[in-house]
Amino acid sequence: MNVIEAKNVTKIYKPLDFWKKEKIVAIRNINLEIKKGEVFGLLGLNGAGKTTLMKIFLGLLKPTSGTVRIFNDTIENRKIRERIGYMSELPYFPKYLKAYEILDYFADLFNIDPKIKKDKINEVLEIVRLSGRQNFKIKAFSKGMQGRLGLAQALLNDPEILFLDEPMSGFDPLGYKETRDIIIELNKKGKTIFFNSHILSEVEKVCDRVGVLHRKEIIDVQPIDQILKKHKNLEDYFINIINDEKVKK
Amino acid sequence: MRRILAVAEYIFKQNFRNKILNVLIIFAILSIGFSLLISELAKEVEIRMTKDFGLFSISIFAFLTLVLSLTIQLFEETELKTISMVIVKPITRAEFIIGKFFGIILTIFMNILFMFIILMVVIKIRGGDPWDLKLFLSVAGTFLSLSILTSVALFLSVITTSIPGCIIFLFFTYILGHLTVHLKNLQYKITNQLVYKIIDILYIMVPNLELFNLKDKIHTNFSLFTFDYILLIISYSIIYILIMLILTVIIFNKKEF
Repeated sequence: MNVIEAKNVTKIYKPLDFWKKEKIVAIRNINLEIKKGEVFGLLGLNGAGKTTLMKIFLGLLKPTSGTVRIFNDTIENRKIRERIGYMSELPYFPKYLKAYEILDYFADLFNIDPKIKKDKINEVLEIVRLSGRQNFKIKAFSKGMQGRLGLAQALLNDPEILFLDEPMSGFDPLGYKETRDIIIELNKKGKTIFFNSHILSEVEKVCDRVGVLHRKEIIDVQPIDQILKKHKNLEDYFINIINDEKVKK
Repeated sequence: MRRILAVAEYIFKQNFRNKILNVLIIFAILSIGFSLLISELAKEVEIRMTKDFGLFSISIFAFLTLVLSLTIQLFEETELKTISMVIVKPITRAEFIIGKFFGIILTIFMNILFMFIILMVVIKIRGGDPWDLKLFLSVAGTFLSLSILTSVALFLSVITTSIPGCIIFLFFTYILGHLTVHLKNLQYKITNQLVYKIIDILYIMVPNLELFNLKDKIHTNFSLFTFDYILLIISYSIIYILIMLILTVIIFNKKEF
């Protein structure tokens, strides 16, 4: 069963200044299906359009053409947004607020029952290994801890799909491992995870399938196990496929 | 409703925990304290000067509270991109804008209240009557005008693409808001039809903040401190705020992040 379906999605940015005419094609004719319960990694060079595609899935950007269906519905539907979680790249939180206050705010946005809110917050803090830090102000948090708090807010509603934009960005090697373990644990609980990343070694360890977005288009989608049969690792596959495309062009 | 309150509470907390606003309060205390010094120099009008200076400080610092609060919000939303994690939650964009409006005006209200209490204490020390109804109504007028400016600020924040642009337009609105009524009064002297029309447009579009300027009239016999007049300015502010918020939501709904 597909939980995300993109059909012929194209996004063209209009120039910000009205006197300029040049339009920028961010992504072109994207067709992609994400299955329930899988971990899907979207790979691509800087500026390939990965974040644009994720933002279109989330309704933060509107496609110029094409359609996106999440749970066979549109993301505009509030009920659908109740079923998803999202963490942006390098999430930022006001430094004078406490971790608990931030999660309390997001819990209210999810309309979580006040009776279970405290337990829910403690539960997600435990998942991201921030238990005992709920009363710390954000200014005392490292970049990695802020990243984990970003993940915690995305888990408050017990989402069926998690969208993670560069979830390991800015982390140290220990942070990579911790995030990877969290993703694996969440996937074991049946959650679908869609994420963008540059850190291919980690993608290789957690993903079921990967897609490569290059020069605005999806040029390949394959299960990880098949890739690893033909290539020594994901990095090798990625460099080969990008170089092949260069030759074709 | 719960989501609106959550956004309002979050913005209020964020503003109040921010040290920039604390500095602002210290400045307000200093300036009201300074009024004591001025009144020492002018013995015969000391209470009057204390009131004038205090009310003037409150209106200026309340406006600066709005500017700083808006700057903090816009910086975090646009530069640090915090808005995307909020907008994807099951909250409508209208709820977000309304929550933000209430969060900012609650901050302004608390700042005004804090400054007003200090002013009342200062007036009491100088031997004046701190419970003068005109004083209360003047401060209420300042709060209403700031509520209108908050709605304008939110509107500007969704139509402009940069923070400095938004703040500059807000300052223009503040200045023009106090000037349009004077321009309107001088309009009969203007022969150029284009200028005449521009004044008409400005008079309709820019909020008439002079309506709320009761602080300059507390020592006069103007009949502005009547129930009818207060009802008029409350109605004007509600209508203006509603129009601005509706326009803000319409544009914000089309915005991409």
